[in-house]
Amino acid sequence: MRVLRYIGKRMLFIGPQLFGITLVSFFLVKLIPGDPAVMMLGPLATESTLAELRTEMGFDRTLPEQFFIYIKNLVLHGDLGTSWQTTRPVTEDLFLRMPATLELITLGLLLGLLIGVPLGVGAAYLKRGIVAKFSDYYGLLAGALPDFWLGLVLIFLFYTILGWVPAPLGRLDFFIIAPPTVTGALLIDSLLDGNWSAFTSAAGHLLLPVITLGLISGGPILKMTQSTMDRMLESDYSRYEEMCGLPKSVIVRHALRNSLPSVVTIVSVLYGFLIGGAVLVEIVFSWGGAGQYAVQGVLNADINPVLGFVFFAAVLSLIIYLIVDLIYFAIDPRVRG
Amino acid sequence: MATTPEPSTILNIEGLHVSYPVYETAPVRALRGIDLQVREGENIGLVGESGSGKTTLARAIMQLISRPGRVDSGRIEFAGRDLSKLSEEELRAIRGDDIAMVIPNPRTELNPLVTVGKQIANVARYHLSLPRKEADAMAMAMLDAVQIPDPKRRFKAYPHELSGGMAQRVVMAIALICSPRFIISDDATSGLDVTVQTQVLELLQDLVQQQGASMLFITRDIGITAHYCHQVAIIYAGEIVEIADTASFFDNPQHPYSVMLLSAFSHNPKLRGMWSKPEELIENAEAGGGCLFAGRCVRASDTCLKEHPKMRSIRPGHGVRCHHPVER
Amino acid sequence: MTNSQGGGANGSTPRRDILAGSGPRADERRIDVYLSRLRYLLDVLRARPLFAVGYVIVATVILMAVFAPLIAPYPPETANPDDFLQSPSWRHLLGTDATGMDIFSRILYAPRIDLTIAIAGTAISAVVGSLIGATVGYYQEVGGVPSFFSGFVMRSADVLQAFPVFVFAIALVAIFGQSLQSIIAAIAFLNIPIYLRLMRSQVMSIRRMRFVEASYVAGTPDRYIILRHVIPNSMAPVLAQLSVNIGWSVLLTAGLSFVGAGVVAPTPEWGSMIASGFQNIITGQWWPSVFPGIALAITVFGFALVGASVEVLADPARRRAMAGSMRERRVKEA
Repeated sequence: MRVLRYIGKRMLFIGPQLFGITLVSFFLVKLIPGDPAVMMLGPLATESTLAELRTEMGFDRTLPEQFFIYIKNLVLHGDLGTSWQTTRPVTEDLFLRMPATLELITLGLLLGLLIGVPLGVGAAYLKRGIVAKFSDYYGLLAGALPDFWLGLVLIFLFYTILGWVPAPLGRLDFFIIAPPTVTGALLIDSLLDGNWSAFTSAAGHLLLPVITLGLISGGPILKMTQSTMDRMLESDYSRYEEMCGLPKSVIVRHALRNSLPSVVTIVSVLYGFLIGGAVLVEIVFSWGGAGQYAVQGVLNADINPVLGFVFFAAVLSLIIYLIVDLIYFAIDPRVRG
Repeated sequence: MATTPEPSTILNIEGLHVSYPVYETAPVRALRGIDLQVREGENIGLVGESGSGKTTLARAIMQLISRPGRVDSGRIEFAGRDLSKLSEEELRAIRGDDIAMVIPNPRTELNPLVTVGKQIANVARYHLSLPRKEADAMAMAMLDAVQIPDPKRRFKAYPHELSGGMAQRVVMAIALICSPRFIISDDATSGLDVTVQTQVLELLQDLVQQQGASMLFITRDIGITAHYCHQVAIIYAGEIVEIADTASFFDNPQHPYSVMLLSAFSHNPKLRGMWSKPEELIENAEAGGGCLFAGRCVRASDTCLKEHPKMRSIRPGHGVRCHHPVER
Repeated sequence: MTNSQGGGANGSTPRRDILAGSGPRADERRIDVYLSRLRYLLDVLRARPLFAVGYVIVATVILMAVFAPLIAPYPPETANPDDFLQSPSWRHLLGTDATGMDIFSRILYAPRIDLTIAIAGTAISAVVGSLIGATVGYYQEVGGVPSFFSGFVMRSADVLQAFPVFVFAIALVAIFGQSLQSIIAAIAFLNIPIYLRLMRSQVMSIRRMRFVEASYVAGTPDRYIILRHVIPNSMAPVLAQLSVNIGWSVLLTAGLSFVGAGVVAPTPEWGSMIASGFQNIITGQWWPSVFPGIALAITVFGFALVGASVEVLADPARRRAMAGSMRERRVKEA
């Protein structure tokens, strides 16, 4: 019951926050130079056709009016406008591309967790050994390597030289038919469809970009886990447990449980960041993700994709933070009050 | 005529020196040559002010002096075993099981994410190798023994939901559940209301007596020792300056510091003033190599500044470390 | 002052003065204080040699930027089409790219742009962010109009930080046109919230301390309190953040250039170099992309290490622990 009340309170804030974000991004994007009418019709269009198009698209109205129309469409019809580059509604484009990005990010962060948490725990526990040293270097290195560069290096090693993975051209081999979209995540959809060849193809294409993201995100996860575990192991209750003669494995297990909130925090921050931040990796692997979509929009003054992406990303971030707070609720009895 | 056998010494500390190195200055000497014996079934009270080394001694006994602090020299024997020679595994088996500590202000020392019942049960579970259900039952019984009302509900409570007095009882339960032979109570009632303090102390003494265990009762309040201890030891600046059977001590305290402590409770302001030096006159005489208390002592002479006093026996069961003890 | 009870030493020992400005210890020269700080630094560096590596890297990169024209064998923007895509050799130490430009020379020239952008951007964001953050933190709990203003600033920072970082950066560059200044502006803008929050939380905790209250009660103007008391005591985490931030800004600049929204070709910049070598990697010519990436990674690595060392030095407890263990080892060896 307390949980529902808590969620309800948070819901109240989401509305104004989304409004604020949409407002800022709208006026930000409108500042980008470039006449969309000219871009859409080409340089040879006549002035009258340009004027016609402008009226049709509502570019001749005042900015606040345009914003109001945008909001109206969004709230009443769920319409995010159309991209003049793809000539499709933005919502359609995003439904195609967001799952691609999300599948990539989720798997990448899972790998980051698998790398970062054990190493972090090990480094905190075995303060002097080789594990600690390795974790030190890895943490610093992972924060220094450019992710797009790492992707390129991996492509060079595993595709160009070793030929172990398929070419980095998107999510599936071109000769494979995609399974019907249920979640948008190829791995899940192909399993649901029983389409084994699609599954292996999707997995093969996911391999390198996921490893890239996993290796890079493993760094901050490791550092956070290690520093939190260090703090927990130095804490009063860890010392007390040692005083009571509890076995080391129990003490470490308790410390880990107490470190979970910090790990959850860093993963959620990384997740929010990667929704837009994975764009470079997406470009390297021709992934067709949402970040790429938005970047193309900015570079070509195609406003609606950018707005739509920012809005979507904000919604996702807010949902993530809500989930994170619910996790805190579940883990920490002090939060429950 | 049958002679009752002398109770054996359960804890024997000889010449214990502990120090903490500090960057770019002389190390802080927390304990300087502590000699202490505790016999089975006996409570010995250790009285000193903050910084006198009481907690360091407690931790040293449990072999928990952490870096950068270190034990410079000395032996600590528990039931005949030299604790410094034991492996980490053997020490782990002793802590909580044979030697247990009751700590003050336990809210920060209890794990905030684990129920108090579980925390008590865990100690029993791992030391006595009990299955979970039995350990839980033992913990429940323990909650009852420390007089926590409604133990069934309290078992599932978290530390932050308990009051100070209840948390203190939980910590006692944790310390006593494995029936340890030696219990260290480190200022266990500081921070509690006076009424609660008395309840807790009575309870602690009862349980300790029931189990036939010995106790090192560390406190800043000298008055308490009169009720609960067989022997009293006064510690100052890392040294034991007086040690005596309780009756002998309160009858006839010898060390000026002991008298100062006792007179602080006096209703007579003149008496209080007689034994403590005014603030402006207190000097740090440590560098001289003499008695550590000389700077604050109203009876200090030139000898006190130059010569470090040794512990000597004034009468049976009463030792004092002073050049000019107070004779009645 | 006479002693009325018993013996006791005669009162010839010097008194400890309450005011540190006077008294015997004020004679200690300032140079001794600086020397002891230097000793700390050296001990910490010896305890963790990796930190020293960081300083060496940063120094090297800065020297590269300054002395590039003297060291580089070829001018960075001269394309020699006949020499395109040559693998590393003695003539071209790191090979040439698709237009025939020497990669080694371009790598040497690249820090000029990257460091300029990163340092300028970070400096601006640090100064602006810290000032706003300090003001906001100071007035947060005062109530009335100032605290409403604080609340507004914090909500705005929240909204700003909810933006996808990369898209925001590209949008800013698109708005201001693709130039050095706009990239610097974009980086500065993105980093302001970091310093804002950092300074704000520091200031809020310092403000509660007694010496600030004392100054307040004495009637010192707020401005003075903020500048002379609050800010100097809050500097430590900001300083540690600076170096790490510079490294991160270099990465961001490279990323922007990679996408085509950063530095314009043919200006040498590590990110755009990686971008132009992108296609070549698949066909097997790895050197146009790999070498700039290595240089980039090492640079960011160096700045991160320097930042980590500043973090240790700024915290008295940590620097003593680290320096202390070094001292112990030295004493044992002596």
